[in-house]
Amino acid sequence: MRRLLTGFNLLMIAYVVAPIVLVVWMSFTPSMRFEVPLGAFSLRWYRELFSYDAFIDSAILSLRLGLVAALVATAVGFLAAYGVVRGRPPGSGALVALFTAPLIVPAVVYGIAVLQFTNLVGLYGSFTALLLAHVVIVLPFAMRTLQATLEGHGPELEWAAMSLGARRRHAVLLVTVPLCLRGMVSAFLFCFLISFSEVTVTLFMTGPAHQTLPVRIFNYVSDRIDPTMAAVSSLIVLVSVALVLVLNRLGALGNLRK
Amino acid sequence: MTTAPVTAAAPRAALGARLGGGVWLFLGPAIVLMAAAYLAPLFDTAVISFHPNTPSGIDRGHWILGNYARLIDDYYWSVLVRTLRVSVIITLFSVALAYPVAVWLAGLGPRGQTWAILVYMSPWFVNTVVKSFGWTLILGNNGLINNGLRSLGLIDAPVRLMLNETGIVIGLLPGHFLFVLLPLWAALKGLDGNLRWAAMTLGARPRQVFLRVTVPLTLPALLAGAIINFTMNMAAFAAPALLGGTRTRVLSFIAYQVNLEELNWPFGGALAVALLVVTLGFVMAAQAAARTR
Repeated sequence: MRRLLTGFNLLMIAYVVAPIVLVVWMSFTPSMRFEVPLGAFSLRWYRELFSYDAFIDSAILSLRLGLVAALVATAVGFLAAYGVVRGRPPGSGALVALFTAPLIVPAVVYGIAVLQFTNLVGLYGSFTALLLAHVVIVLPFAMRTLQATLEGHGPELEWAAMSLGARRRHAVLLVTVPLCLRGMVSAFLFCFLISFSEVTVTLFMTGPAHQTLPVRIFNYVSDRIDPTMAAVSSLIVLVSVALVLVLNRLGALGNLRK
Repeated sequence: MTTAPVTAAAPRAALGARLGGGVWLFLGPAIVLMAAAYLAPLFDTAVISFHPNTPSGIDRGHWILGNYARLIDDYYWSVLVRTLRVSVIITLFSVALAYPVAVWLAGLGPRGQTWAILVYMSPWFVNTVVKSFGWTLILGNNGLINNGLRSLGLIDAPVRLMLNETGIVIGLLPGHFLFVLLPLWAALKGLDGNLRWAAMTLGARPRQVFLRVTVPLTLPALLAGAIINFTMNMAAFAAPALLGGTRTRVLSFIAYQVNLEELNWPFGGALAVALLVVTLGFVMAAQAAARTR
């Protein structure tokens, strides 16, 4: 019975990872067409990548957007998580529901709303609008991670600092933040990962001026199959896998499973 | 995970310095951000969906229900039915596949479980566009499967595996399967092993133990996961767009066309609101199901 289950799961794992493996495999194929029996190994498509200016621009945009959005979301998320965990104000349940709503509300719905709203307020196609939308999308991940972190570090050390004369803001900055550093790093990396992978909202709201890497690939893959695309995709896979391994090491993935 | 610290912190909070009104300074930035960049756009879209679309723009002077009435036109109705059909099929597959995977996972050692879960999670953290691109390499007319079958001489014309509903189901399943698997796996791990042992000492065979003890006790978790899975299937955009193609359109793809190609925002807004209402309805049902656990 156990052997049967293992066999089934190996098949299932093969199914689950197949597209990812294939993309990476194709990026090392020397020929233009994707051929099944892999004879030779080539880095040709990775070299060719650097002649696609559009991809370089998109990569830089994705990195910049991801880093700034993660930074803002971690800061805003830390403050909010601190307020909820330490303050427990009336209605904090509803507030947490609001801050984590982007996990539940479909990205398509938010994408449409942001498209229409940015036009209304004259921010359509701006980096500011893109950044704000990404902060909103990644905020739930910062909230979840930092709430768990703050619940794990009781307020006693803050009280000790305050009883010795520290103001609240000094206690938070000098005691709580260093204590929660691991959680803050997790939150930051998590937010970056989510922003870096985001397609739907970005696709709905951006004009041609701001195509992030996934959006650029989406628009490209719709017309043709090109091994250069496989090279870009493999680099994205590399970044995502590296981030997830670090997050797993930091113990941050458990927060996702509630 | 959240309940224990709450009860423990409550008496302590009285001892220490209270945050008091200062709490709003901490919550302020997040509230302002969510009000301005989240609630306001959603609210505006809901408002727009009740206005008529005219050649000169949205007529904010008139209120109508026509955009919602259009949702049940033959064409949009058929798209809705297709979206529902594809979503239900993916959910049924996910549920059917979840037990063998969760039972296998729960039987692994702690280290093995961590790694196996990471592998099963990989479709979630690898970009949808990248995965869909990978599926086109496998399922396309010149893809791995068709080339393989052709070189074996089994087929003459390529088998159509994508740009139809099959492609959408194959492509979406791995990423969304996870949302059934994780709650089920957690429920299985939380199950009191004595219950199964007790059933066996009373003469139940492994099959009976599974069907009459394990399944009933993990059913709420399975149901909650299945509903989340279903709402994600309903709202998925990038993978259905790339794997379903222009002929097999789902609701979210229509929403894209209406908003970005036809620029009919009132109707596009109605599509968004409809999708939101359906999703929230199912999520609330899932939460109710989880509470009965």
